[in-house]
Amino acid sequence: MGAAPIPRGARRAVAVSLLPGAALFATFFLVPLGVLLVTAFSRWGGLELAWTGLENYRRMLSDPVFFAALGNTLFYAAAAVAVQVPLGVAAGMVLALRPRGWEAFRTVIFVPFVISGAAYALVFSMFYNARAGLLNNALAALGLPGDRDWLFDTTTARWAVAGTFVFVVGFVMVLVMAEIAAIPDEVYEAAQIDGASSWRQAVHITLPLLRTVIGTVILIRLLVDIGMFDVVFILTAGGPDNATATLALYAYRAYLNGEWGYANAVGSTILVVGMVLIVAVRRLFRVGEGR
Amino acid sequence: MSAARPRISRRAAPLAYGFLTVVTLLALTPTAWVMVSSLKTGTQVFTGAGVLPDPVTLQGYVDAFTQIELHHYVLNTLLYATLGSAGAIAAAFLAAYPLARYAFRGRSTLVAGFSLALAIPVVGLATPEFFIMRELGLFDSRAGMVIFYAALQFPFTFVVLRSYLLSTPRELEEAAAMDGAGYFTTMVRVVLPLTRPALATVAVVSFVQIWNEFFFANLFLVSQEHQNVQLALAGFRSQFGFNVTGAIAGATIVMLVPIIVFVALQRQVIAGLTAGAVK
Repeated sequence: MGAAPIPRGARRAVAVSLLPGAALFATFFLVPLGVLLVTAFSRWGGLELAWTGLENYRRMLSDPVFFAALGNTLFYAAAAVAVQVPLGVAAGMVLALRPRGWEAFRTVIFVPFVISGAAYALVFSMFYNARAGLLNNALAALGLPGDRDWLFDTTTARWAVAGTFVFVVGFVMVLVMAEIAAIPDEVYEAAQIDGASSWRQAVHITLPLLRTVIGTVILIRLLVDIGMFDVVFILTAGGPDNATATLALYAYRAYLNGEWGYANAVGSTILVVGMVLIVAVRRLFRVGEGR
Repeated sequence: MSAARPRISRRAAPLAYGFLTVVTLLALTPTAWVMVSSLKTGTQVFTGAGVLPDPVTLQGYVDAFTQIELHHYVLNTLLYATLGSAGAIAAAFLAAYPLARYAFRGRSTLVAGFSLALAIPVVGLATPEFFIMRELGLFDSRAGMVIFYAALQFPFTFVVLRSYLLSTPRELEEAAAMDGAGYFTTMVRVVLPLTRPALATVAVVSFVQIWNEFFFANLFLVSQEHQNVQLALAGFRSQFGFNVTGAIAGATIVMLVPIIVFVALQRQVIAGLTAGAVK
């Protein structure tokens, strides 16, 4: 559908109606981006501002804590892609076969997605609690050792944090279901004439057609992970010994220290890593190239 | 649903239910357990004895309001979520209409800019956002939070509304123009009613997102009297030893609000998330 030129006399009205959105966008997206780009190369604590070139980045690359945070962030992203995405795709594909009661399953599996990170932090601080947590109690009931402090043991802390989100598969699931609903009937009719079973149709027809939506959910998930903060900040504050810290938390600490320029250098890294991931995933899964 | 669609076979059904049950348990167990625990006594929570509450008590819920004063945070959050969503929707609708209907210079730049903002991991912009809020005198203020949330929800709202408008016919608008209706008259009298389904969708999604927002609330809100429910939750955690049942009951209420909104308006939520994602 081609767009028409603005009718005579409506030019001012159009400009006026674009104004509020443009003002919000400029104030809270464009200007901050500009501030970020300049101050990432500066020493900045709110008042004094001194150009220091690549100093912030040099410091970042020589700080082992930065690499720990980067490593954890990538670990969380990998956990999401390896567990959350396949589970969600499988759940969406099964529900698309419309077993009796599928709507109830869709609702209950989706529910955890609308719970906030802060609430999840509280839920899991109880769930993983060394003495009174459900996890240890369940393990003890099974005769297994049930006294581990999951969140404060360096060998398990990262896994425990990943456990708070990898099973929240509802978002992936509903996107997959919507995508399957959009597949034309004819595609399946042909297969049924050939006598293909439901299982074969799922694997050989449905799954290949989900390529783009799988790319999309991986992309969205990576964008969430790259800025992961709430659960880690509240649950472990990045500890023990930075075993769970993320890039966003690392940047936040610099901000709290009044090292705003440095915080912005880390922030710019988050944005750049995010952009690289977007481009890579879009290429890999041919997102946005039509079918 | 047509006959051509593959359905679950009788043989595969038990396998499917087994799998779905496992996924449900993995997704829901910790949350369900904590919600059930909101009816326990403090002693039972601390000893971890038994999965079900014994005895059942509502003391936690009483404490959540009398001691933690949850209602106060709830009111703040309702204010942020309703006005923030309304602001985002108003700005987005006003911008989406001309950018869906008319060709003019700068149109594609604006569309690309507004849409790309959706893909920015905004936590990377934390310090500049703090700086701007402070310079504009919006730091630690309720009005500032409403404006900020309107901005934060603007890209998503814009993308969904514009794509909806692109897919709706414009005959009615053309008819209105023939009758001499002006730009804003057409927008409000003709286009707005047609856009109602998409408006409902973005309203629900953005309400839930603002209700759940923690990062920027933590960055911008210092005074306790301005804080939202998520900050209150994070506070419970550090005071875990003080009133554990009050905290659990409060957390349960904070979680139930978006859950109820979702269960009641499931279609809108799913449609909104799907529409926002495929762009």
